[in-house]
Amino acid sequence: MINRIWRPIKEGFFGVFRHGAMSISAAIAVTLTLIIISLFLMFTMNVNQFTQGIEQSVQISATVEYGRESAEEEDRISLAIQNIEGVDTVKYSSKADEFQYYLDSFSDEKTREAFRPFEGENNPMHDAFYVTVKNGQVLESVAKQIEEIDGIESVNFGGSSAVALIQMLRSIRYGGGILAIALSVLAVFLIQNTIKLTIMARADEIAIMRNVGARNGFIRAPFVVEGVIIGALGAIIPILFTIYGYQYFYKITGGYLISAMFRLIPPKPFIWHISIALLVIGMAVGLLGSFFSVNRYLRWKR
Amino acid sequence: MIECTHVYKKYKNGVNALYDINFTVDQGEFVYIIGPTGSGKSTLIKLLDGEEIATKGSVKVVGIDVGKLRHSKVPVYRRNIGVVFQDFKLLPSKTVFENISYALEVIGMKKDLIRRRVREVMNLVGLDDKGSSFPRELSGGQQQRVAVARAIANRPKVLIADEPTGNLDPSMSDEIMALLEKINREYGTTILMVTHDLNIVNKFRKRTVVLELGHIVADLAEGGYVQHDQ
Repeated sequence: MINRIWRPIKEGFFGVFRHGAMSISAAIAVTLTLIIISLFLMFTMNVNQFTQGIEQSVQISATVEYGRESAEEEDRISLAIQNIEGVDTVKYSSKADEFQYYLDSFSDEKTREAFRPFEGENNPMHDAFYVTVKNGQVLESVAKQIEEIDGIESVNFGGSSAVALIQMLRSIRYGGGILAIALSVLAVFLIQNTIKLTIMARADEIAIMRNVGARNGFIRAPFVVEGVIIGALGAIIPILFTIYGYQYFYKITGGYLISAMFRLIPPKPFIWHISIALLVIGMAVGLLGSFFSVNRYLRWKR
Repeated sequence: MIECTHVYKKYKNGVNALYDINFTVDQGEFVYIIGPTGSGKSTLIKLLDGEEIATKGSVKVVGIDVGKLRHSKVPVYRRNIGVVFQDFKLLPSKTVFENISYALEVIGMKKDLIRRRVREVMNLVGLDDKGSSFPRELSGGQQQRVAVARAIANRPKVLIADEPTGNLDPSMSDEIMALLEKINREYGTTILMVTHDLNIVNKFRKRTVVLELGHIVADLAEGGYVQHDQ
């Protein structure tokens, strides 16, 4: 039993070693395609991060009517907002906080002084609730539902421009995702083809093995192990590229692109996740590629 | 041991290779199949080792109806017969030792038994010191001896040899013939050898079946080749 598992592994390693040139060329093809997959994975996941970050930073501000500022009324309004589907957090801000926030927005003391008479009793501001949503798509509908709550004076959420920005990023994310998937399929096809070529060169060997009485499974197993090894070898450089390349990119950009709005995913554990994905893709494609190619040649002769 | 009954073979491209072939080979016999190019010798070998299926009739080897075997069972059937080819068909990336042991690994033999048996057959074919050589490092005669060693490693009852001396010079051909005779004599292995080398047929006399244009035209128990129009 142990021999049955050990033999194909040993033979697989021997196969890679004894067909060195062919193994290296197949591994290089795997390397190139996995680097492309790595780039697209990093791009798409970062765009995903941007979209989520912006979605989370967009918030709805809802002001309370002047006559409804008692604690009971505001508890009722807060609860009503929390009960709306898609609402993530609800933060209360008193009219005094709002006034302070308004004052702080002026940098010069003179202007601030001019507004001092409106402090305390004469404060014209409203109590307010700041609401964040779980998902940018529901922004508009949540705002509309808050507006309908009894006691709400007005609702502001950046309007259609905020929705348009989120929509645009969403399109980039989906577009990038589709492109990454399409590219991965293409890469998988390329890797499989390369492995197929290395096996095609050994079609005669497969026929000889059947001639001396080897069953299909006995012939297939070492080739499959060989495919897995080539896939794993081909993943080494893309993994190093991902680990060092992304960390370097993160360092030189300071962790964001253009503005703080486009914050990059921190390297750890992100690079580990991508590296594992690359290794798994390489090995899985190597396995499937060699499995199907050997099968084809096993049927080639009786 | 080998029984061909009313065997016909017509290929998909319309070529008729064999017509109504009937012959039997008993256990321990050494039989030549001779004939000119295109006489159907290779087709007969393919029918015997399961690579092709007869269009009509039955081919039985060691009691197995070869034509009725499923694709996946063909290699298992081949463990009962040893086949030696003109072009040796050795695995180029395996050493001599590994080429021979492969035929024993496929039947699940234990490692120490494999080692012992491989040494035995390497000694028999006179290649004791070539175990770690690769086929490309050997002469044609040596490669054919490796092929013979591999074919007899798991003690098959039947050995089919398809032009085993076809790529060898006369002295090497004689060596291979001496080896096949030894296997036939000492192990009682039934040997069916296809050849068109008349020197060998006349020098090492055995029962000789003559094929021409897909028909058996002679079956000479005493051996030697009767000159026939070619």
